[in-house]
Amino acid sequence: MAKFWRVFSYEYLRHVLRKRFIFALLSVPLFILFFGFVAVLMVFLEYNPRPVGYVDLSGVLKETAVLPSGADNIAPTVNIRRYDDENTAKSALLAGQIQAYFVIEPNYLQTGKVKLIAVEGTPSASIKSEFSDFLKTNLLASQPKAVANRIENGSVLTIISADGSRRMNSDQWLDIAIPIVAGLLFVFAVNTSGGYLLQAVVEEKENRTIEIIVTSVSPEQLMAGKIAGNLSVGLTQLLAWILMAFLAVILVANFIPSIQNPQINGQFFWLVPLTLIPAFILVAAFMAALGATVTEAREAQPVVGLFTLPIVIPYWFINQIMTNPNGPLATGLSIFPLTAPVSLPLRSIFTVIPAWQIALSLFLLMSCAAGAIWLAGRAFRLGMLRYGKRLSWQELFGRAGRAA
Amino acid sequence: MPTIEIEHIHKTFGSLKAVDDVSFKVEAGEIFGLLGPNGAGKTTTIRIMLDIFKPDSGRVSILGGEMDEAKKNRIGYLPEERGLYQDTPVDRCLVYLATLKGLSKNEAIRRIDEYLIRFDLADHKHKKVKELSKGMQQKAQLIATLVHKPELIIIDEPFSALDPVNTQMVKDLLREERTKGKTIVMCTHQMHQVEELCDRLVLINQGRAVLYGQLEQIRRQFAGRELVVRASNPLPAGLPGIISCVALNGSFRLKLEPGASPQDVLRELVLQNVTVERFEIAMPTLDEIFIQVVKGSDG
Repeated sequence: MAKFWRVFSYEYLRHVLRKRFIFALLSVPLFILFFGFVAVLMVFLEYNPRPVGYVDLSGVLKETAVLPSGADNIAPTVNIRRYDDENTAKSALLAGQIQAYFVIEPNYLQTGKVKLIAVEGTPSASIKSEFSDFLKTNLLASQPKAVANRIENGSVLTIISADGSRRMNSDQWLDIAIPIVAGLLFVFAVNTSGGYLLQAVVEEKENRTIEIIVTSVSPEQLMAGKIAGNLSVGLTQLLAWILMAFLAVILVANFIPSIQNPQINGQFFWLVPLTLIPAFILVAAFMAALGATVTEAREAQPVVGLFTLPIVIPYWFINQIMTNPNGPLATGLSIFPLTAPVSLPLRSIFTVIPAWQIALSLFLLMSCAAGAIWLAGRAFRLGMLRYGKRLSWQELFGRAGRAA
Repeated sequence: MPTIEIEHIHKTFGSLKAVDDVSFKVEAGEIFGLLGPNGAGKTTTIRIMLDIFKPDSGRVSILGGEMDEAKKNRIGYLPEERGLYQDTPVDRCLVYLATLKGLSKNEAIRRIDEYLIRFDLADHKHKKVKELSKGMQQKAQLIATLVHKPELIIIDEPFSALDPVNTQMVKDLLREERTKGKTIVMCTHQMHQVEELCDRLVLINQGRAVLYGQLEQIRRQFAGRELVVRASNPLPAGLPGIISCVALNGSFRLKLEPGASPQDVLRELVLQNVTVERFEIAMPTLDEIFIQVVKGSDG
C-alpha cells in the first residue's frame, strides 16, 4: 500500500508543481475575467458623453419629461434634451452640442415610428435602448407607480413541478447557469487529467523505465496510483475552479440582486459527485487502457476524442433537455454512461427524475468504470513491454491474451 | 542455497520458442554471466526470473522461493531496455525510484547524494535527465539499481555507453559488491568483461542453454591440442609429436599430433637444450568459444 501512495504522490506532485499546471488552473478564470474586462471596456469605449436630443411631433411627452434611473447600466447614462422643432435640433447636432436626435413621428401612438438622425455613422445601441426606456418611462408616467413598474419589469414566472419538489423563477438564471458551468468545468478537468494519465502510462514505455518500475511495484499498485494521482490532478483543478466561481458569484451577487438566492434543488448537489467521480474514473481508466496499448502518446491522440467527445454531446441538445427534460432524448442521454455526468444533474434542475432512471444511470456508470479499470489492468499487463509494437484489440479481448 | 534456481523453464510466444528447457543455478556471492547472441532468449529468461513473464512450464526459485512483492526490494535490476523520466530532475527521479524499492525519502536522499558524488554526477543532480549525456544517464541508472543495497543484482549490458574510465569504475563497483557478498547476474556481449569478472556462466542460444559451468573449466573444455612456447633460441625442426609450428608475436604455436602429450614435447625441448621461457597449453578466448558454440549449435 505504501508504494501505491508513492506512485500517487509522485504522479500528483509532478503535475501540480509544474508551471504548466498553475497556468492551466488560472487560465480559465483569467480568460473569463479578460472577456468580462473587454466587454466593459467596449461599453466605455462606445460611450459618448454628449447629450441626445429629441423632437416630439406627436405630443405624447410632457415638457418636463423624466429620465429613467439607469441603475442597471454599467456606463453612465447620457442627457436627453428636448427640442421644439427639427431645425433647432439639427443646428444643435451640426454644432456638435448633441451626438444625435430622435424625431417622434406625429402618429407615434398608432405606428410607433421614431426617426434617429446622426452625423457620425450609426449611434451606439445603448443610446437607442436608453431612448426607448425614456419613452417607456414617460408614456407610463400617468399610470399608478405600481402598474408602471410592473409593465416595465414584466412578470416573475415561477415554474413548479407537479409534486412541488422543483421550483424555478424566470429571473433566477443562475439556477440554470450553475449546472451548465459545472458540467463544462468537469469536461475541462476530465480532459486535463485524462490527457495527463494517457501521457503517464505511455511515458514509461517511451522512456523505458517500465521494467524497473514493474520489478519495484506490482502492476495493480502502479496503475491504481497513476489513476488516483492523475484523477486528483483533475479534481484539484475542478475544485479550484468551483471555489473561484463560488467567490465570483458572491462578489457579483452584491451588484445583481436577482442572483443572491439561487434555488437549486438538493438532488443536483448529490447527483454531481455521484456521476462525476465514476465518470472521472471511467475516462481515466479508458485513457490508461489506451496508453497501455500504444507505444507513443501521439499514437493515441486520434482515439482520445472517442472517449471525451461524448461527454460534451448533451450541450448540443441543451435546448431539448431544458424544454423536454423527460423526453426520450434527455432520458437516453442521462442513462448512457459517457453522457450521464452532464445530462443527469442538468435534467434534475428541470424535472423530477424517476428513481429507477437515476439508479440505472448510476449502476451503468459505475459498472462501466469498474470494467474500464479491469480493461486498463489487462491492457497494461499485456502491453507494458511492447516496445515499438502496439497491442491489438484482438489480443486485448482474445483468448491468447488471457494466457500471458 | 543458490540465490537463483531455474529448472526446465519453457516460454513460447505464438510460434516462437523463446526459452526452451533452460536450467541453471546462480550461487550466492558470485558474478554469473548470462551470455548469448541477440534474440537467444536471455532477456526473456531474466523476465521470467523476475516474474515479469510467467513460464509456460518449469520452476523458478529466487532468493529462496517464488517471487513476491517483498522480494522486489531485495533485487536491483538494470534492464537492457532502460531509461529514466526524461523531464524530471535527476535527484527527484532517483529518489522516486529508490522509494519504490522501500527506502524512506530521507534515507534515499542521503544515499543518492553519496552515489552522485562517487559517480561524479553531484553537479548535475538538479538537471533534468534529458540534459545528461548518455554515459551520465547510464551512471544514474546504475545508482537506481544499487541504491537500496540489493542482495541480488541483475544487470543487462552494464558497460554500454560508458567510456573506459567509467567502465573501470563500474567493474570495480561490481567487484566491491561481490566482496560484500552480493550475487550478481551479468548479461553482456562483451566477452572480455565476462572473462575478467565472471566466476561462472551460462550460454543460451536459440532458447536453449548450450554451455554452463565454471569459466576456467569451460575454457579447458574448449582448449585445442595446441601449445604456446617462447624460447630464447630457435626451436629445432622436426620435433616429435608436432604437426605444425607457427611463429606468432615472438612465440611459437605448436599443434600436437593425435596421441602426443604436452609433457612429451616439453621433455623433448629440454633434451634438445632449448631454453624455454614460456610453455603453456593454448586456451581459447571466450570470444572464440562463443563463436564456436553458437556456430556449432546453429549448424
